[in-house]
Amino acid sequence: MALHTAPRETRDPGQELRRPAAPGRRRSAVLWPYLLIAPTVLGVAFLLLYPLLRNLQLSFQSFGMGELIRGGAEFVGLDNYRELLGGGEFWDVVVRTLVWTVVNVVLIVGLATLVALMLQRLGRTLRVLVMSALALAWATPILAATTVFQWLFASRLGVVNWVLVQLGFDSYEGYSWFADGTATFTILVILVVWQSVPFAAITLYSALTTVPAEIYESARLDGAGEWRMFRSLTVPILRPIFGLVLCLEVIWVFKCFAQIWVVSEGGPNDATTTLPVYAYQIAISLHHYDLQAASSTITVLLLGVILFVYLRQLFRQEGEL
Amino acid sequence: MNLRSLVRRLPLNLAAVAVFVVTIFPVYWMASTAFKPAGDINADTPVFVPTRLTLEHFRTAVAADGFATFWRNSLLVTATAVLLALVIALGSAFAVARLRFRGKRGFVLMVFIAQMAPWEAMLIPVYIIARDTGLLDRLAMLTLLYFIITLPFTIITLRGFLAAVPVELEEAAQVDGCTRLSAFRRVTFPLLAPGLLATSLFGFITAWNEFAFANMLIVKNQDDRTLPVWLSSFSNTFGTDWGATMAASTLFALPVLILFLVLQRRVTTGFVSGSVKG
Amino acid sequence: MKIVRFFAGAAALAVAASLSACGGSDDKGSGDGKGDGGRTTLDVWLMRDSVSEEFQTQFEKDFEKQHPKIDVKIQIQEWNGIGQKITAALASNDAPDVIEVGNTQVAQYAASGGVKDLSDKVSQLGGSDWIPGLAEPGKVDGKQYGIPYYAANRVVIYRTDLYEKAGIKQPPTTREEWLAATRKLNTGKQQGIYLPGQNWYTLAGFIWDEGGDLAVKEGDTWKGALDTPEALAGMEFYKELQSLGKGPKDSDEAEPPQVEVVAKGDVAQVIAVPGGAKLIEEANPELKGKLGFFPIPGKTADKPGAVFTGGSDLIIPEASGNPDEAYAFIKALAGDDAQKKLATAMSYVPNKKSLASVLASDPGASAMATGATNGRATPNSPEWAAVEANNPIKEFMTQVLTGADPKKAGADATEAVSKALGG
Repeated sequence: MALHTAPRETRDPGQELRRPAAPGRRRSAVLWPYLLIAPTVLGVAFLLLYPLLRNLQLSFQSFGMGELIRGGAEFVGLDNYRELLGGGEFWDVVVRTLVWTVVNVVLIVGLATLVALMLQRLGRTLRVLVMSALALAWATPILAATTVFQWLFASRLGVVNWVLVQLGFDSYEGYSWFADGTATFTILVILVVWQSVPFAAITLYSALTTVPAEIYESARLDGAGEWRMFRSLTVPILRPIFGLVLCLEVIWVFKCFAQIWVVSEGGPNDATTTLPVYAYQIAISLHHYDLQAASSTITVLLLGVILFVYLRQLFRQEGEL
Repeated sequence: MNLRSLVRRLPLNLAAVAVFVVTIFPVYWMASTAFKPAGDINADTPVFVPTRLTLEHFRTAVAADGFATFWRNSLLVTATAVLLALVIALGSAFAVARLRFRGKRGFVLMVFIAQMAPWEAMLIPVYIIARDTGLLDRLAMLTLLYFIITLPFTIITLRGFLAAVPVELEEAAQVDGCTRLSAFRRVTFPLLAPGLLATSLFGFITAWNEFAFANMLIVKNQDDRTLPVWLSSFSNTFGTDWGATMAASTLFALPVLILFLVLQRRVTTGFVSGSVKG
Repeated sequence: MKIVRFFAGAAALAVAASLSACGGSDDKGSGDGKGDGGRTTLDVWLMRDSVSEEFQTQFEKDFEKQHPKIDVKIQIQEWNGIGQKITAALASNDAPDVIEVGNTQVAQYAASGGVKDLSDKVSQLGGSDWIPGLAEPGKVDGKQYGIPYYAANRVVIYRTDLYEKAGIKQPPTTREEWLAATRKLNTGKQQGIYLPGQNWYTLAGFIWDEGGDLAVKEGDTWKGALDTPEALAGMEFYKELQSLGKGPKDSDEAEPPQVEVVAKGDVAQVIAVPGGAKLIEEANPELKGKLGFFPIPGKTADKPGAVFTGGSDLIIPEASGNPDEAYAFIKALAGDDAQKKLATAMSYVPNKKSLASVLASDPGASAMATGATNGRATPNSPEWAAVEANNPIKEFMTQVLTGADPKKAGADATEAVSKALGG
């Protein structure tokens, strides 16, 4: 549907513009912005809002495999939410998701800041080397990277076990990482951090380089120390982009799914079941599409609450523009 | 450089080397495993530099059913979605960064919220909608989805890049008799090019990676499957044939790696000019 | 102005590209499936490794010769994630025409309403003679949805030469003898038995031997039963046996494919369907003639160990565009002729009792037949497929094998199974 509407909408402003008449020009100046954003609004409405509403509808129905195949479903009010929120399991998952998000985001943003500051101080050769490595790690597709990590941590012939044994930890001979909850969780954190640091580091580094070297130079001439320069020059520069990076990483880590699913499917013993994984499990394995819908509605709300502060600030900023 | 500054810089350089090794090793290990003979892979002591290079694993991977078709499907879907997203996003980003209109705040907020959408959790509603509109088993459906998945982020970044191009330049051109559009085209667009490339790279990675929908929405026409689905069934079939699995992963990563190598300079400069004011 | 035209042009191009993409898929057998020259394309989904390529090609050729109007297109599916795939297919408007479904999963699909009721064809297909392990799961509320395809149960495949070297004259007939023999065989590089940690079908057999089950029905609801003393005793035996080899504790028999592990040598015994021996010999011809079979030993010599009767049914989705052709295909594949060939080719139990005689001269099959006298099925709940989709039993096994408290792990697994079964 939107496929057909989108290009027509883009074409419209053109026709509008080609009309030479003077009165039309004013009107089109008012219309312009709306015509420009129209395709996005339509796209979001059809491809995102509509599925979201359908999802909301599902969450109030009794909807299993039979309903999916035969169609027709009866409304059950808040039953799904009651079932979900009433069980202790869901709250375990929520807490685990928060822990997962905090651990990852802190590590990602912390490490990325350090790497960015390091890049700023490096000589040319080393900087290019590190930048290329970061770019490669960033470019490696999620599934490929995930497969590589499975290979690195394989119980037989895995490099990590070999290194640990060489270092004297003999108990890691043939150790099955993916059989233990904490170990699997840790590996997933390492994987996600490894994948996410490059984007954050490169972005932060780019922000740092926007400051002309002369400013640092003159600050140094004025007798400012490293720490002082960091506080009064670097931090203010980084603040806005820091906010954006932080916000994006929270969203990405919170929603992270493919890595977890491929590596552990949420196991062992639910140790890596975060909200997206949980929703996928109840839908795909248990065919409780209704519960899944309720769970994803709660997920959206939860993300909204977490990012509320940021969104509010953003909303204010937009007003000032 | 005298000895003192060398010593002073030593910790920093050591840290840089450490970051380099940690970052590059998984990628290196993937590629080297793919090129190593089976004997090296199965050696009890890992072989860090292959004794010789072989293409046998790549042969195994490419010989697996339909590799070329899936490759083509992925490329087609991804490229179309990214192109579409860029075109649409450029319009929206321009409106947000350059024009005043009522409802702008709301629009920006909508874009940010759209960025938060938990896509995997919407698998079933999207499946139902695709089925009821006859778009199941169609690459077009995947294309549309990838378009909307990448769109919010594309708008956010493009807006940053646009904001970084001084309005004064455009205004000066307008004073010189250009219309607003041709001012945009002649002045802003060239300055924006690196930003466009950088943004397209993001979209490309996201769409190229997508698995859950590709797996759910292509049911019967298995010739229309995409590479991520292929990769996952490949590692199911080949299990612990790490050589072939790594060769398949390498082939999967290749287009993105190439794009990155080609675009890297521009991407970095693009960020320098653009993302700061995002 | 040009830029607007550029926008529109680019967008139109993009749309054209994606439309042509779906145009491209249009003529590839969707819709009514009319292929070249008025032939109907029949989409068939079979499972990975369920039949040999040779049998499949031959059957397809023969079938197309007899039905020149039908173009059979067989697509091989992976077991991993198959539940989602089949659900998506049954719910679509244009499903594949024939699907092979595991006998533990068929009930769920049948109950969902997405599968054609084939009750009126049962007598035509000779249904009264079907083996119950396949016919029963395919039946819901007295209606037959799944047509029996093939069955098999696990036996012990052992290396006769290694047995001889170790001085063991007779294959064991009780658990005690089995453990003793395996201990003797487990020396140095040689593994007494290759048993991966998550071979839950085998564990099910041990639990049945103890008198327990994976799940029990209490009133109207199913409950997991892995924390019962019987289940824990079965698991204890599994652990003891598993330790007499180097099987990985955290994966199942498919990963890595166990026949390949055995083919590399140094493995004295493995638990597999008899057809596995053919695959082992194929992978390592040196082992030809060195493989023997015996039924999984029970607690006492008078009764073999309980085994899970595995197998597959064939179904026609309601959304199939070519139900008549699909039925013709099922009729041929479930027919006596194909069944005899399949049984000999793969050492499977054919879908009819009267056909069992074709296996009389096959040593693997006779061991299997002995075991089959104590054959069992997974709990008969339509939700059972949900348990397998995200199998808590496998997790339970890995937990216990890696040193967790069996009672605690058993309680966790029990809860997970109950939840999956809707209890």
